[in-house]
Amino acid sequence: MRIQVRRTGGFAGIERRAEVDTAGRPDADEWHALAERAVAGGRGARPSGVPDGFSYEITVDGERVYAADPRLTAEQRTLISRVLKEGA
Amino acid sequence: MTTHGGSEPVFCTVVPPHVLDRLARNDDPALSGPARRTLLRDSELRARRRVTTEFRLAAAPAAKAPSDQPLRTIYDCAHGTDLPGAKVRSEGQDPGRDATVNRAYSGLGATFDLYLKAYQRHSIDGDGLPLDASVHYDEGYNNAFWNGEQMVFGDGDGEIFVDFTNSVDVIGHELTHGVTQYTANLTYYGQPGALNESMSDVFGSLIKQYSLGQTAAEADWLIGAGLLAPGVTGAALRSMKAPGTAYDDDVLGKDPQPSTMDDYVRTGRDNGGVHINSGIPNHAFYLFATALGGHAWEKAGQIWYDVLTGGELQEKAFFTDFAGLTVKAARERFGDGGDESQAVKKAWEQVGVRIL
Repeated sequence: MRIQVRRTGGFAGIERRAEVDTAGRPDADEWHALAERAVAGGRGARPSGVPDGFSYEITVDGERVYAADPRLTAEQRTLISRVLKEGA
Repeated sequence: MTTHGGSEPVFCTVVPPHVLDRLARNDDPALSGPARRTLLRDSELRARRRVTTEFRLAAAPAAKAPSDQPLRTIYDCAHGTDLPGAKVRSEGQDPGRDATVNRAYSGLGATFDLYLKAYQRHSIDGDGLPLDASVHYDEGYNNAFWNGEQMVFGDGDGEIFVDFTNSVDVIGHELTHGVTQYTANLTYYGQPGALNESMSDVFGSLIKQYSLGQTAAEADWLIGAGLLAPGVTGAALRSMKAPGTAYDDDVLGKDPQPSTMDDYVRTGRDNGGVHINSGIPNHAFYLFATALGGHAWEKAGQIWYDVLTGGELQEKAFFTDFAGLTVKAARERFGDGGDESQAVKKAWEQVGVRIL
């Protein structure tokens, strides 16, 4: 499973993106469960966020959903921070 | 709008009206309640703006004059994401041990001061709105934002950014989003969104200049100086004096701001480049303020404030609309053919914004 996160906006307006490929990872099952729940809570269209809030695109095996601060689900928040931290 | 509970969804005012209408009819009160309140608030704001425009009058005066003192409350999220968090300092309390809390508190005070003393505005809404801020939001959170009701500050991750309360102009920037929301309510997308961002940078910088007593020539015209972690190559996040030069770093990349319309960036990201193209009106303000000299908040800031709050600036205004209104405001306040209206025209010309 390929999990991609793109974060745009924010006070600085600096974009960040990262990707995790779960193939061969020992914790792949955990990633899959987290990614599925994060996608289930996402929106099909870019939500209007708040001034200076981050907005996010989460793409899992080609399926893309959108989310924006401060209204993220707990799973989205966890997935986004893990992908941006551990991903390449 | 102050009736929102902490756990309810917050509807930013950029939600299109047809979506709000649909939400307001939803059977789920958690969805319909906030949408109904937003619609109500929006219609009140529209009515107030119309009255201001047509009669050149301020909105109906409050029954009781608002106080000349701010009403500040700082909350601590303790690295969680529930807003507002635990109350840690209220108005009038002495500073505590947490420097972040103390900086947020004094930054709110500096912002309140500029708006009151320079423009006779009582707080964000002009009617004494209490000022709330939450600090220590999330873990290593590299951002600060205005959620429609309050400010939220992250601590930074220590690698790219440090504590977002470090720069008083960042605090002023966030609060000015509140002022814009209560006045022109510029749509947070594309050119009106870049104008919205620019208002926050302009008044954020003026709050810093006012608190330091600087003239336009003495000011650094930087946004977010002191926000970049040691090791990042850059002075700040944005430069109004020289957009595009604030940072150039191997991790952060290069400051993408243009200073003139020739380099306007068309993009769907970042709400249509709101933090990118704001460089153009930012630079126009800088050129105007430095051409006039002296304290930038007195004349240049006054003209920008007149346009932002005057009732004629439309929610979907483009740069050229805003520019035209600044020339009009300069004439109205300082006379036709004066230095001010000539200087403001020239500033817009220099950044390539046509005045129709």
